[in-house]
Amino acid sequence: MVDEAGFEALVREQLLEPLRRYLARRTDPATADDVLADTLLVCWRRREELPEPALPWAYGVARHCLANAARSVRRQQRVAGRVATVDPPVEHPPQPGARDDALHDALARLGPDDAELLRLWAWEQLTPGEIATVLDVSPNAVSIRLTRARAKLREELGKVEAAAGHEEPGGGGR
Amino acid sequence: MSDLHDADDDRDLFDRLRAADPTTHLPDADPTRVDRLLEDVMSQTSTETTDTPTRNPLTWLVAAAAVVLIAVAGSLMFLGDDRVEPAPTAAEAPTVTELSLSGDGAGRCMVPSPDVLGGAAYGVDAEVIAVEGGTATLEPTQWYAGEETDRVEVAAGSADLAALIGAPRFEVGQRYLVAANDDGRVMVCGFSGPYTQDLADLYAEAFGS
Repeated sequence: MVDEAGFEALVREQLLEPLRRYLARRTDPATADDVLADTLLVCWRRREELPEPALPWAYGVARHCLANAARSVRRQQRVAGRVATVDPPVEHPPQPGARDDALHDALARLGPDDAELLRLWAWEQLTPGEIATVLDVSPNAVSIRLTRARAKLREELGKVEAAAGHEEPGGGGR
Repeated sequence: MSDLHDADDDRDLFDRLRAADPTTHLPDADPTRVDRLLEDVMSQTSTETTDTPTRNPLTWLVAAAAVVLIAVAGSLMFLGDDRVEPAPTAAEAPTVTELSLSGDGAGRCMVPSPDVLGGAAYGVDAEVIAVEGGTATLEPTQWYAGEETDRVEVAAGSADLAALIGAPRFEVGQRYLVAANDDGRVMVCGFSGPYTQDLADLYAEAFGS
């Protein structure tokens, strides 16, 4: 039985910061707040099933809650008569300092699955096994797709940077 | 290419991605807000006791946000679809808002007022797409209040009960305006019913859209 004290300790020590960061990387602060609450609520309701370690599973929950929140926003936009955009939502909020435009553009050219895979690998720094839990696929599938995603990113980076090179004679993109 | 070369490439890509992490300078969470968040979360008293994707019959007793969340938890059973698609796909379970008609407290009907209606936790313009075993399933076209879900289900009970408490009789293909309290109980006695211009005007006024 998972009691309140146990759950609170788990959240504070293992889940809160990583989940917060996961969401902050993928959506605006207001949505991130809402989805964090949704995610913790699901974890609380399903606390008897929380695996050990809980974080990869919790990332999976956050991912699903985030998808629902995004659908809800799009539906609201439709209801309000505004045209829903076809593009995926902004991947990350603008950051202070120099932005790696080439990387941002290259990532945008990958499909959402590949982009998410690369984020879980580099930002959340998860192992293939952990990523497998988040996405509910096999570790083997993760390894294969990750290798392919990295190759695709390199390819797109090459194209983006080559194009930048053409546009700016005598200089690189950065 | 040798494995070592690939490893170096991976390391470079990894580092470059990490440098683009938008949360490098993320401020710490406000401890007071964290405390409050945990309190709010743990004050929800019902637990998921089943793993099945079918709806827990107790869910309509649960507070507003949690109703939709139970459906989200149910849809986690379908995590085999690992794509986060822009539009809901057939592989993902639709989100559902579950409402019910309750026999108690019906008493006298008052004239529906926008003030009272405006306090409803749920308000929706929806069309009945199925009626089965005492439950009406509706497809929302517009939400006035409450978390938007793909479907609304109203546990309608018996037609006698419905008639007794002044509740709408749900017929497939008919459009309705439905309002409900945060415990999921549909507001009857003229607050919910088949779509009419008058009722729509009332909803518009009540929910300020």
